[in-house]
Amino acid sequence: MIRHVFTGRFNRRSFIKASASLAGLAALNTSTSGLALAADKVVKIGFLAPLTGAVAAWGKPGLDGCQIWAERVNAAGGISIGGEGHKVEFVAYDNEYDPAKARTGATKLIREDGVKFIMMLGGDTWPGVEPVADRTGMLFSTLLPSDLSPDTNTLIAPAEVHPIYNVTGVEWLAENRPDLKTAVMCAQDDALGLPSVATYLAAFEAAGIEMLDEPLLFDPATTDFAPVVTRLLSKNPQIVCLDTCYSDYVHPIVEQLFQQGYKGQIISCTADFYDQMIAKTSKEFMEGFIFQFPDFDDPALNGHGVNFDDPNGFYAEYNKRHPGEWGAVSWEYASIMDLWKAAAEKAGSVEPDAVLNAMTGSGKGNHAFGEADWWGKDLFGIDNALVGDWPVVAIENGKARIKGFKSIPDWYGKHGELLKKHMAAYNQMWDQRT
Amino acid sequence: MRNLTLILCVAAALIALPHGLSFSQQEVLVFLTINILLVASYRLLTLTGEWSLGHVVIMGVGAYASALLSKKLGLFVPVSMLLGGLTAALVAYILSFPLFRMKGFYFLIGSFAAGEVIRLLWKRFREPFGGAKGLKRIDSMPDFDLGFYAFEFFEPVSYYYFALLVVAVCLWVMWRLERSPVGLTFHAIHWQDKLAEAAGVNVRGYRTLAFVVASGFAGLSGALLAHYIGTINPNSFDVEQMVFVLTWAIVGGTATFYGPILGCIVLTILNEIILRELGFEQARPVIYGLILILSILFLPKGLESLVERLAARFRKTPGKPELGTAPDKEARA
Repeated sequence: MIRHVFTGRFNRRSFIKASASLAGLAALNTSTSGLALAADKVVKIGFLAPLTGAVAAWGKPGLDGCQIWAERVNAAGGISIGGEGHKVEFVAYDNEYDPAKARTGATKLIREDGVKFIMMLGGDTWPGVEPVADRTGMLFSTLLPSDLSPDTNTLIAPAEVHPIYNVTGVEWLAENRPDLKTAVMCAQDDALGLPSVATYLAAFEAAGIEMLDEPLLFDPATTDFAPVVTRLLSKNPQIVCLDTCYSDYVHPIVEQLFQQGYKGQIISCTADFYDQMIAKTSKEFMEGFIFQFPDFDDPALNGHGVNFDDPNGFYAEYNKRHPGEWGAVSWEYASIMDLWKAAAEKAGSVEPDAVLNAMTGSGKGNHAFGEADWWGKDLFGIDNALVGDWPVVAIENGKARIKGFKSIPDWYGKHGELLKKHMAAYNQMWDQRT
Repeated sequence: MRNLTLILCVAAALIALPHGLSFSQQEVLVFLTINILLVASYRLLTLTGEWSLGHVVIMGVGAYASALLSKKLGLFVPVSMLLGGLTAALVAYILSFPLFRMKGFYFLIGSFAAGEVIRLLWKRFREPFGGAKGLKRIDSMPDFDLGFYAFEFFEPVSYYYFALLVVAVCLWVMWRLERSPVGLTFHAIHWQDKLAEAAGVNVRGYRTLAFVVASGFAGLSGALLAHYIGTINPNSFDVEQMVFVLTWAIVGGTATFYGPILGCIVLTILNEIILRELGFEQARPVIYGLILILSILFLPKGLESLVERLAARFRKTPGKPELGTAPDKEARA
């Protein structure tokens, strides 16, 4: 048929044949859906995150993951609201990590596209959106719970309680490598780096690991990390902590650590695109690198309690479509959608207030890594963060592997005061944020 | 009379404009209006021949000053906006002492360094500047009712009218300034600074004046931005934003008053409305960059040269160019 088009022999008969084939395929596709979808029942979900620019790595992979999630859910009949299947459609707006553009995007998604829920990365962009959320009552989610405060009633942090889960990596390290007793740390001096610094300081103190120097805060515009690493290594540490650095920093810092002959332990919040780091250093150098975000082909994710549907299949599909792009956020926005879907189906409504009540009403929720509590009043002034277990991941023979799940609430029960002390020292408690 | 009619028609069109736009386009219109003031003030600075890389940071000085004055001292927002502009002008005056010891490329680099120092101070001092996270929950303009129209400043249409009024007044002042003897002196310094100096013109004084006045207007644009979005942080005024201002000025052209404004309008509509509406959300930087390259290749004198050519075509009698048309001007040049 296509050959006919290119050879100019595309006539009325071949057109009718082609049309009939396409119609047949479409009908077949519809009939294979598990639940009949009403043609006009579509729920629109907003995706308001950086898709271009320096922070795009924490937005775009999330949108790619959401598209896969939507295809899977729609193929299985969509979201059932009052017994009727609703298709899910994502409407994206690139906020370029700019609060003004985030405000414009929120306005467009709510007032023009009619979305029922908006997912954001948060951080610098949330304050631009906050007045819009106040006025409209729209339900928003953030990956950065430091956006939460008692005034943010319609903002939830259901996927990750950054940076509190970082305590689990340090706790695991202290249990499994008790010989490591000294550490140094560096981080970019920004809204993402500072609360993470406070968290790692609390975790190291709780684990009895001595900080050899004050955390080295570098400017986010830094591109040459040789002096940063030289200063870190001048203290001869057993552990180098990379805090929550963006991947644009993690990669050159690791490369510098390798080039400057560091042989000790590295711990980091993320290790996005770690295969590239291995390529720039060596498999041996990266062995034992600790971080917090697993690959979803990990067998440990098939175990009891994990609430992400078919994580291995999701990972395989993601890598097929976007090879080499799997990162920390690839699954997180999709896991938020799992939670939202369950709440909407429970509420029998997609309206923001009904979904929020259904989601948080019982005080518990099904987080991707197990049942968790709606928590956070101590640190964020509001219980809108979903906290439970979190995995500790290590690179073994060139591949990320989950070493175990640790409980964040258990750690906080024992060392919460330490965390509050360090958060307060860095002006990161909710009542200190200007 | 013809001019008055034209002004009234343009004013009516600008007042009616937001009502023909979607909600998100109204939001873009607010930011566009504020950016027009920024880029026009940048052109005022360039009149004396100096190009700065710190203009967006100076805008930030106005934004921070206005936000802090209203937030910490409880000043009435319009007053804090004016004081924000004045603070930016004052900071520019202080910076002028080291900066105007340099010229040309050195001034460009010096202005960038000065701007970075200011940005680092915002990051370093969490009190009062909020550190890397900046300031949020900045007071908005207080709503009021005129009887025939209620100003609710959360709504983009209301804020657009307010910003339009402020920007129109500022543009008028800049336009008058450029056509005054002071403005002519700015031009003279740009093209013949040695000759101007020989004629008794205080070159450094006039360069400082242009820098300070332009900074005051940039500070006011920053204040307008801060009180609309309610949050500012050091990244809002980084070199990436400065590149946008330079691009607007270069693509629009800086030979005329309207050149940079035209550049700002065309590129904003292209980037924020057309490319997004066409579904090129993630490809925008590539397409935007391509269009920039093409415009520099094929319109080296900026969009304003296109307008000049079109205007000349309208003015000219078929087959016989009139005196004062562009080709005639070029021939005389």
